Amino acid sequence: MHLIWEELRAAVPLIADGNPALYGIIAFTLQVAAVATAAAVVIGLPIALLVGLGRFRGRRGLQVLVNAGLALPPVVVGVVLFLIFARHAPLGSLNLIFTRRAVLIAQTILALPYVVALGAAAIQGLAPGLLAQARALGAGRAQLSLLALREARIGVVAAIVAALGTSLSEVAAIALIGGNIYGYDQTLASATLYEVNGARYADAVAISIVLLVLILILMGGLSLLQHRTHGIRLRFSPSA
Amino acid sequence: MAFLWDQLRAALALIFHGNAFILSLTWVTIRVAVISTAAAVAIGLPIGLLIALGRFRGRRALQILANASLALPPVMLGIGVLLLILPQGALGSWHLAFTLRAVYIVQAVLALPYIVALTPAAIQGLAPGLLAQARALGAGRRQLSTLALREARVGVLAAVIAALGATISEVGAVIIVGGNFEGHDETLASALLAGFTSTANDPYELAIGIVLLTLILGLVAILTVLQQRTGGIRLRFRTG
Repeated sequence: MHLIWEELRAAVPLIADGNPALYGIIAFTLQVAAVATAAAVVIGLPIALLVGLGRFRGRRGLQVLVNAGLALPPVVVGVVLFLIFARHAPLGSLNLIFTRRAVLIAQTILALPYVVALGAAAIQGLAPGLLAQARALGAGRAQLSLLALREARIGVVAAIVAALGTSLSEVAAIALIGGNIYGYDQTLASATLYEVNGARYADAVAISIVLLVLILILMGGLSLLQHRTHGIRLRFSPSA
Repeated sequence: MAFLWDQLRAALALIFHGNAFILSLTWVTIRVAVISTAAAVAIGLPIGLLIALGRFRGRRALQILANASLALPPVMLGIGVLLLILPQGALGSWHLAFTLRAVYIVQAVLALPYIVALTPAAIQGLAPGLLAQARALGAGRRQLSTLALREARVGVLAAVIAALGATISEVGAVIIVGGNFEGHDETLASALLAGFTSTANDPYELAIGIVLLTLILGLVAILTVLQQRTGGIRLRFRTG
């Protein structure tokens, strides 16, 4: 165990002493996770409602597509974005390649399937009578959407937490399209990869400890939320 | 669009002429995915059954732990494993660092949470009366496990497919422990990232991306068919 122990001992001061490079990476990671997830929620939640509540031809096809999006390898998303945004590519004139904005775009696209697929699944998991009754009582589209979101809030929050989690852990797509540039567009995860490739293991361990702490806070918050509202869900399930 | 179109044509030509480089990447990817998922199933299925069927103190804590492990950042697992297998590390004498075997190990560790967390979820989703009845009729531990696995087979298969998908798409951990040596321990996904950081804009990259995407979509298609075909069986139990 010596090596892990040594690197851990070297890593702790790096975090505790407030290394400015590390804080820069943490700030950018949080910014990416928050902005990309927020954008994914704004775009994805209406689609999730459409898939979860809509009654139209092709709804099932749309759902299969969305579920497949969840399995999309991030590195492939990175390649496709690269081919779109590279200098002489169709959108090359936007000068997005190897910028922070490109990282935000990639993470938004990766977070989107989580919001749409898991959000729709949460809505479809509601007791079927609930929404039918609201419809029968004359609820409009907006009222129905609000009701579905309120009742399925735990599942929707879980979807958002999952999206945040991937934004925090993702490496491949953002390294590819952002270039993994030191001190500019590195997140905690991509910086870990960068430091390991340079055999600076103490730095890599320090960065990944911070990453783990962020993820654990997120997971802890989610399980707290699920326990607190468990009673409400139980009340609905016997009628299912 | 001419740029994209030319790239696509060149990429398809590479695939259909059975390019040796792409074939070898595909072979390594499939081998890594199958072997590490099989190892994860062998280790994880008993643990999953224990969590789902066991009645002991700490069962709930174990399940929370299993769920949390799903959110572990792969790069962090990568550096943890690397620090163990580097020559100076605790397992250094096994000479695993930067070999294909190291990739198998880290991928098996990555696949394990999918099996351990999603198998209990599938079994706990069964009609609650089913297992209680089997217990009351005197089913032993092995009969109960067999029954649970048979009834929850779609959910368990979904867990296995999720594990396969994750190992096929993983980049960060593979590069960290394997070193990404071409023709040796490079997978389709890791080759994509490595290729773009050294020599960008190659039809090879697009060809690799297409093969990778095909593998993933194949898995998604299998899962979709399985879930839809067995929908009837699951429904019968819900109402019963």
